Amino acid sequence: MDFGFIIEAMPRLLPGLWLTVQLSLVGLAIAALIGLPLGVIRSERDRGIFAIVIDTYVFVVRGTPILVQVYAAFFLLPMTGLRLDPFWIGIVALVFNSAGYQVEIARAAMRSIPRDQWEGAAALGLKRWRALQLVIVPQALPRMLPALANEASNLVKASSVLSVIAVFELHKSANAIISQSFKFLEMLAAQAVLYVAFVLALTQLAVWLERRSTGRISHDAQSVR
Amino acid sequence: MLDFEFMLRIAPDMLAALWMTVRISLLVVLLSIFLGAVLTALRMLGGRLARGAVVAFVEFTRGVPPLVHISIVYFLLPEIGVVLTEFWTGVVALSLVGAGYTVEIFRGSIETLGRGQSDAARALGLSSLHTFFLILLPQAARRSLPPLTNELANVIKASSLLSVISVNELTKVANDLIFVHFVVIEVLIQLTLLYMIVVGTLMAFSRWLEARLQS
Repeated sequence: MDFGFIIEAMPRLLPGLWLTVQLSLVGLAIAALIGLPLGVIRSERDRGIFAIVIDTYVFVVRGTPILVQVYAAFFLLPMTGLRLDPFWIGIVALVFNSAGYQVEIARAAMRSIPRDQWEGAAALGLKRWRALQLVIVPQALPRMLPALANEASNLVKASSVLSVIAVFELHKSANAIISQSFKFLEMLAAQAVLYVAFVLALTQLAVWLERRSTGRISHDAQSVR
Repeated sequence: MLDFEFMLRIAPDMLAALWMTVRISLLVVLLSIFLGAVLTALRMLGGRLARGAVVAFVEFTRGVPPLVHISIVYFLLPEIGVVLTEFWTGVVALSLVGAGYTVEIFRGSIETLGRGQSDAARALGLSSLHTFFLILLPQAARRSLPPLTNELANVIKASSLLSVISVNELTKVANDLIFVHFVVIEVLIQLTLLYMIVVGTLMAFSRWLEARLQS
């Protein structure tokens, strides 16, 4: 293994890593803004056209490969007249994908809140909407964290697929260097280490966040008793 | 309007490609389960070195995108003298990833069995290897079925990535059809529907299994 080459290639790999970080974090954030509220509303509305639309959307997202979703965004967005550069096409595809999973994350967290929380809020005279806003959602949010962290690392890995539409994220950058230098062992090792490091950092952040928020929950529970 | 006649005309190609996707997925699942079981045994029975190696393998397979695993197998196996077709390169790469996830599924299920099972097996005089393969794994396998079905759905989706090393599976064939005929929407709709039928059936099966095993 030629470590000198890895160091030499870093100035070209690190921008790729930075793009991967941007793609996954921006994608995660926009998808959270769309997916989590939809999931919360979906948990409130079990019937009707809204539930059917959301369920169909989630089914499409979970039933098709991310690669197909990327191709769909790549071919269909220009047809609607939108001229986006590959980065934003990539963001659209990642958001479409991740929001679907986040709907399910929000729903599962909402369902895990025991009924008596609703009853307690009603007993305090809170209307349904206020109860949701002040009692249920604040308790459901921390419960979403582990699943969201998982989703974040899935998104990091999914972003590698954007290499097929020429987004120069980490995998594409490494591939470009391989095709010029044929130093594939070095580049494969370097990108694997960078991916693992980023995913591990995200997982650690999630563990920390979870510990902090569950610490607060048990503290609150004690003070209530 | 959609050109249904065109959709019908490409259907045989698409179905042949779907069959390729299904074949890859089945092979990958069988290999992942086998490799996953062996690695789980190492992880739970092995010495410190073996345990550490399996933990590192699991972190590695779950931390690196499948696309990178495909590149690794694609570039490195010929380097050590193993020359495989694209089909088998893809199967090996996805099986390595699948094994990493399977280890975690098996380990999780075995941990829910409780100490009583292994204590009783040891009390009957079974060796730790026999305890693992005859007592723990068969029981854990039952509980692992729903997550394993889910994993199979993931493998089917991941097999689309093999299009980058030109395995003629569903996504590759669809992409080629788009560039040959310059017809986008019809191909994409058919592609999406085919994946959804296969993956949707599996997900429904997984839910059904879960409900049945719980009751």
